[in-house]
Amino acid sequence: MPSTEAPAGPLSPAVWETAVVETRALTKVYPGNVTALDGLTVDVAAGVTGLVGANGAGKSTLIKILLGLLLPTEGQAKVLGHDCQTSGERIRTLLGYMPEHDCLPPDVTATEFVTHLGRLSGLPPTVAKERAAESLRHVGLHEERYRLIGTYSTGMKQRVKLAQALVGDPRLLLLDEPTNGLDPAGRTAMLELIGRIGAEFGISIVVASHLLGEIERICDHLVAIEGGRLLRADTITSFTRASQVLAVEVEEGLAQLQQELAARGLAATLAQRTLLVPLGGDDTYDVVRDAVADLALPLCRLERRRHQVEELFRDEEGAAHV
Amino acid sequence: MSETQSAAGVIHDLGYRRYDGPRLGRAQIVRALIWHSFRSSFGIGRGVKAKIVPILACVAMLLPAFVNAFAVSRGSARLFGYDVYTPQLRVIVVTIFIAAQAPELVSRDLRSHVLPLYFSRPIRRGDYPLAKYLALTAALLLLIEVPLLVLYVGTIASAKNGHAVWGETKALIPGLGVGLMWAVLMAAVGLVLASLTGRRAYATGIVAISCFLTWTVSELLIQAEGGMTSTSTGARIAGLFSPFNIMDGVRIWLGGTSPGEDADPGHFGPLYGIVAVLLLAACLGGLAARYRKVSRA
Repeated sequence: MPSTEAPAGPLSPAVWETAVVETRALTKVYPGNVTALDGLTVDVAAGVTGLVGANGAGKSTLIKILLGLLLPTEGQAKVLGHDCQTSGERIRTLLGYMPEHDCLPPDVTATEFVTHLGRLSGLPPTVAKERAAESLRHVGLHEERYRLIGTYSTGMKQRVKLAQALVGDPRLLLLDEPTNGLDPAGRTAMLELIGRIGAEFGISIVVASHLLGEIERICDHLVAIEGGRLLRADTITSFTRASQVLAVEVEEGLAQLQQELAARGLAATLAQRTLLVPLGGDDTYDVVRDAVADLALPLCRLERRRHQVEELFRDEEGAAHV
Repeated sequence: MSETQSAAGVIHDLGYRRYDGPRLGRAQIVRALIWHSFRSSFGIGRGVKAKIVPILACVAMLLPAFVNAFAVSRGSARLFGYDVYTPQLRVIVVTIFIAAQAPELVSRDLRSHVLPLYFSRPIRRGDYPLAKYLALTAALLLLIEVPLLVLYVGTIASAKNGHAVWGETKALIPGLGVGLMWAVLMAAVGLVLASLTGRRAYATGIVAISCFLTWTVSELLIQAEGGMTSTSTGARIAGLFSPFNIMDGVRIWLGGTSPGEDADPGHFGPLYGIVAVLLLAACLGGLAARYRKVSRA
């Protein structure tokens, strides 16, 4: 007899608003004294959160602890208000997980596979079938879903992996390197899809990636970890605030222009063939325009640009090491 | 206008729909996994190729039962004992079946690394191997017991009186018990061996070679020690080298009358029983340990 464990109801709004993931001094030491997580304390708010760090920073270990598959050596982790060490099963009814590596059998169709995993998420047979079809449609697989997975391209396989995470109607998706192995167009499409799931489906997402520049496009928050420790956690806007620059490109006379701008009080830095000018206010545009006009240089680009968050990290790390 | 628009919107873009209906608990999820695995152990829900071995195995096992029914209708007595059926054929068919189908159940999942998807769902670590074990046990039960039932039905169809039917029924029941022992033990042996590797061909090889080799060695040793009628200690111990002969020894110890593959274990009977239980425990323990490791990876 089906038990009525609806996942949506019992969550109090308070939990919803505070954090979908909370960790306190979370430490994981693997046998052989390999420290994957080292006292990580972080709160992840609802929405789309990027979990960034280099390979080996502890992202996958954190995800496995959140899934209740690994027990932490020390510390505590909570997902949607449930303790990972004691309520693993309950948490896993609320989570969708997309692993980093290949995890699809080649000899079944996507429909069969996602339906089967829907059943394992606790859906009754007919619901599993319906939701499998819907999930595959949401990720952009239509008629292809009746083909064997072995015949799929890498991009389509990634979509099936995402569909199986969605099929159980999770409250939180954990995506581990979802753009792995995709070409640039495939990456963009996958990121758009994830962004849409976060924005339109009302599902919170933690997306782990070592490519910061890529996931910052779709994230509301960023959590950066390194060596199992928290580097920084904040909203994406505060990461990028006060980091606006103006990119100026001229066909010739870059050095000349740099001098001229310096004379007018703007410390422009040269990056390859572009001058980056700190954007103070609207008058910066005027100063640059006047400088270019006075020197009669052929201007070919003038655009406002954001520092890639990656650069911010690099700066901070640099500062920390000095 | 706006009404038609929204109506059209509903039709063409359903958007994301939440699911607030009932969710099945862990027990029912495990049941679904058992059913799925049970079906795939007969190749159901898989391609045509996956059905070849199960179908051949079933046909091979059923054939003697039908031959028996024909013979009995011509006035012969029942040809096979319920507790052994066709001893050597059964050993070979069961070996081939588990060598082909145990990897189907476990090696595929290892090979395609699908286990993280299973373990990220609301089941526990032990549930996966448990479900696979119960599924293969059920499949073996079907493979072994259905021919016995056919044998039984074919025999009583020509029975002269109620007394004869009762006699057949009394003979059938221990036979079903032996079949159960086979299913329970061989499913465990097959799965623990198959779960050693994700490469199906290797897994099949490991299962087949282990079963055949131990059986052959055991048979040879029994022959060397004077054969099935021997009462020497050597012949009695030789049976312990093969799971099939262990089960045969247990059968004889527990009162099975048909001559089988083994020398009569005599006072070694309890030892056969203990070894059978230990072998089962070792296989199930090994299987559980195997998946405890995998689920962390």
